[in-house]
Amino acid sequence: MTLVRDLPQVRGVKNIPIQEGFTSGHRTCQGCESALTMRLMIKAAGPRTIVVGSTGCMYVANTTYYSTPWVVPWMHTQLGSSGAAATGTAAGLASMMRKGKMKDEPINVIAFCGDGGGVDMGLAGISAALQHEEYNLLILCYDNESYANTDIQVSGSSPWGANSTFSPPGKVHRIMNRRWKKNTAPMLAAGHPSCRYVATACASYGLDFTNKIRRALTIGGPTFIHVIDPCPKGWDYDPKYSHELGMLAVETGLWVQYEIADGELTLSGPSRAIQSGVRSRKPVQEYLQRQGRFAHLNEEDLEFFQSRVDESWDEWWLPGVVPFKRPDEE
Amino acid sequence: MSTVAVEVVYRGIFQKTLARNIVRSIVFAARKEGKYGTAFGRYGDSPERNGIPAKQFAIVADDPEELEENLAVYEAQEVDVTINVDDTMCKGIESWAWYGLQPINALTKTGGTLIVTSRQDADALIEDIHQKDQPYNLSIMTSIPSFSGLWVYKDDHTDVRILGALAKVCPQLVSLESMVEAIQDQGWDDLKVRSAERSYDRTTSRPVEPGEGNQEEPFSFDLPGWTTMEEGIVIRGIEQGGGFRGGEEGYQPVRNSVFKKYSTRSMRPIVNFDTCIKCTLCWLQCPDTCFDVTPDGLYDANLESCCGCGVCEAVCPVADCVTMINEAEFNDNDSQYEMWQKDKDDYTQWMTSLIEKQKQVDRTHGFHHVGGYAEEIAEVAED
Amino acid sequence: MTTVEEQLFMTEKEELISGSEAVAIACALADVDVITAYPIRPYDTVMQYVSQLKANGAFDCDFIVAESEHSQFEIVKHASSVGARTFCGSSGVGWFYAFEAIAVTAGLRLPVVAMVGNRALDDPGAFGVEHNDALAVRDLGWMLYWVATAQEALDMALMAWRIAEDPRAFLPMALSCDGSFLTHSQAIVNVPTQEQVNKFLPGYERGQLQLHPDNPITVAPQVNEDWLMEIRRQSNEAMSRTPGVIKEVYEEFKQVFGRGDPSPFLEEYMMDDDPDIVLMGMGTLALPVRVAIRRMREQGKKVGFVRLKFFRPFATEEVQEALGGAKAVAVIDRDYSFGSPSSGGVLFNEVRAALYPLDNRPHVVNFIAGLGGREVRVRDVEDMVDITQKAIDTGKVELECNWIGVRE
Repeated sequence: MTLVRDLPQVRGVKNIPIQEGFTSGHRTCQGCESALTMRLMIKAAGPRTIVVGSTGCMYVANTTYYSTPWVVPWMHTQLGSSGAAATGTAAGLASMMRKGKMKDEPINVIAFCGDGGGVDMGLAGISAALQHEEYNLLILCYDNESYANTDIQVSGSSPWGANSTFSPPGKVHRIMNRRWKKNTAPMLAAGHPSCRYVATACASYGLDFTNKIRRALTIGGPTFIHVIDPCPKGWDYDPKYSHELGMLAVETGLWVQYEIADGELTLSGPSRAIQSGVRSRKPVQEYLQRQGRFAHLNEEDLEFFQSRVDESWDEWWLPGVVPFKRPDEE
Repeated sequence: MSTVAVEVVYRGIFQKTLARNIVRSIVFAARKEGKYGTAFGRYGDSPERNGIPAKQFAIVADDPEELEENLAVYEAQEVDVTINVDDTMCKGIESWAWYGLQPINALTKTGGTLIVTSRQDADALIEDIHQKDQPYNLSIMTSIPSFSGLWVYKDDHTDVRILGALAKVCPQLVSLESMVEAIQDQGWDDLKVRSAERSYDRTTSRPVEPGEGNQEEPFSFDLPGWTTMEEGIVIRGIEQGGGFRGGEEGYQPVRNSVFKKYSTRSMRPIVNFDTCIKCTLCWLQCPDTCFDVTPDGLYDANLESCCGCGVCEAVCPVADCVTMINEAEFNDNDSQYEMWQKDKDDYTQWMTSLIEKQKQVDRTHGFHHVGGYAEEIAEVAED
Repeated sequence: MTTVEEQLFMTEKEELISGSEAVAIACALADVDVITAYPIRPYDTVMQYVSQLKANGAFDCDFIVAESEHSQFEIVKHASSVGARTFCGSSGVGWFYAFEAIAVTAGLRLPVVAMVGNRALDDPGAFGVEHNDALAVRDLGWMLYWVATAQEALDMALMAWRIAEDPRAFLPMALSCDGSFLTHSQAIVNVPTQEQVNKFLPGYERGQLQLHPDNPITVAPQVNEDWLMEIRRQSNEAMSRTPGVIKEVYEEFKQVFGRGDPSPFLEEYMMDDDPDIVLMGMGTLALPVRVAIRRMREQGKKVGFVRLKFFRPFATEEVQEALGGAKAVAVIDRDYSFGSPSSGGVLFNEVRAALYPLDNRPHVVNFIAGLGGREVRVRDVEDMVDITQKAIDTGKVELECNWIGVRE
């Protein structure tokens, strides 16, 4: 197994590294939370990192030929290839370092994908990557809940009822997307005992996100982080509210933040406070009504949405995380 | 033979439906007069990005063959009318797919007209608009820019008001009567027809002389050829930055030198350095890495790379410490920190007046749920 | 105690091995860093041998069994970008499953070497040889070589890395090996020593294009119409440089290892007396063709054979020179191209196009044969020659594309 870079946890927001590995000059939307995710990801990982990015906004809008926002080495990979790209990059480095063809040093390998690339098309590849204990790699899924680059089409990670160019509310069918969002991170954590670290996060909680990136890279082996990224274009809200929407997703209990390190589950931030009863969940309506993609939802829809979220907290074995019903306690 | 070309320059996504309504209505109206037309968005602008300038065109010709000649080019080389639906783009536009800053009137032909929706007067706009060697006309449609999101259109009549103005400044395109018919055909109500007619009546324009306007040379970029481009689709990464304005202290990232993004901005942050508590949030949460860290731990927005999203304002915990101000108020991208250092009282006074002024106008990117625009629109319709 | 590696490669020796095994040995000799596998008949025999070699310590590589052909090819693509020497392969629809990765590998100018165990495309599923799988990449910037013997498979594999990794090329290369004939039958192969190979094959140096923190580059950003033609032009230029690289490498190979044909592009058989009829084909069908030619020569027929080795780069001038003097050319395709000009095979239309600029163009007749691994019999080859002779006799080609050995 190759060396792992030891990245200490950052204590306090003011100690987040000042150096940038992702700078300006990307062509993303105003208020793009995914661009912020990229920026904080590489801040946390540092300059001895190779980033591989699969097709999506963070490819097309981010790196437009003849210029780049990346300070660190970066390479494109295909939409469904984040797992294979991470594996190939890590394997190439590991092999050459072992054989003395390249200086032996810890180099972080991060492959990112959107929800289309990760939750849909690339799921099998990610699953395979998470089986290779001998490679240090982190797969980061930035989830803006649609195929955003291709003009906002519904993905397996889109929320129920959301408007998209493939699920437009119509005169006969108000709700075109009847699928409930996939529960990706727990699926990967449960299914891959060789993966020592899985987490969920959001760039709105910058410090928490930074530390999760660092923990994943420091634990080593194949790891996975799933990040929710409010998308001002596809979700349809004033770009200045990206940060706030991220927080609302967590505060309403819709997006649960946690990490699973060596099999141990720890909820973080507001999710933890909700779980322990220190604070109560905000009504989901507060989050949904801020977004144009839910503008067509009626009272009944909102109630249904709320009931599904309630169920995930009240009836799931691990609230908000694992959708198995709690066994009868006798 | 007569062909009339119209371009609509608009803010990506926020004004996509608006632009579409305008170019399609032009073609419908032309059809009423037996003409042929086409309406299309520039493919390179797609997928559109929030706020990044984009273009749609309407081309109208007397017969199909003549139309075909105009379709043989991707983007019209010149247009009879340029419609700019957000006055802050008078400073020039940089698309997300191409390099360089294009003056807003770049395609406006000699004697053609630039229509701008604005609350500014002509002199203020001409100060921003790059000078041309040929004369053209400027017509102002008094209005705040109409912004809405991807899914819910803010039907505040901006589309039909533009159409009314267009019929006035470009009578060779279509008559007001045809324009009205096209509006009715699309199922829009009489209120919208009246808005178009009122706009027609009120529209005036003034000539802009050669050489009049912003004298600045817009930044451009020469495309290298295959013999000088690096093989393997490789480009060099951006260098690691450091220090502040050449000093050792602070931090300034190196920035993309060929894509600047500031023409995406319709508002910009202004920072009160005296009340800043150095919480880092504006810097930390900026998706465009646009804050330079000063040696004394303050954050100075680099206005070449700020695209005006407003996240910094939203996350700032101090009242009026970071405030988004209408971009039209500014004529340069100079450092606010340097202004402040030079004369703090002067800066405070300037900043305070801008903040006060901003509080008088409601200028947001807008978003509402279905029906949420109703009150706003009622007001506009009354006007 | 000697290690397995020493046992294998200390001294030059003869082995009775298949083409797949020969390629696997070449992987060991070339010290490939990353190899990816996914099972599909018949190419996967090579990976069975690779895994054995690794298991027995014959060489050190990262051998990854991917979860699909797509990932298989993506993994080596990315390993190659950081500077690792790579190998992978596939067959039939497996190769098609990886097609996206295959396309971008060439676009990115990454010198991945792959073995295609030629196999018919599904449906219906069939394991036998057809060339349509490998041929599908003919326009993308892959070098494509058709192997005829196990010895050639080993030799050309060693040359493949050297050619592909030459900075003038930096293009991927596929070794097409006919399913069954090469992948599953064994022949005597001369296995060179590690020392010989080391002398011939230097390490892969990606230089300024290597993805590494010491060389922070951005690879393959999104482009628009302002850039793509220039990028394609560069790839075209790289491919046009490959014939020069191939000749250079081939000559050096012959010097170090003491074997090889006069030309790296064509194998000419009984061509010295400028025969009236020249047969042309690729891969292992050379065998029945040579036998048939010997028989027909005994009957006094002036017939020769040209085996095309590199399909890409296509050696236009060499083909013109070899075939230009004939009265008629019979092109044998182990492939099809439905709806193509004259409903002919892929090779046929390429050869016919290459001959078009000649002042005295020979007749070109096409034969589709041996699909799905069906035997191309000596008798079939004789039939082809008879049909071609008729074109010479009558002065015109009656039917441009003839299916041979098919039941009515």
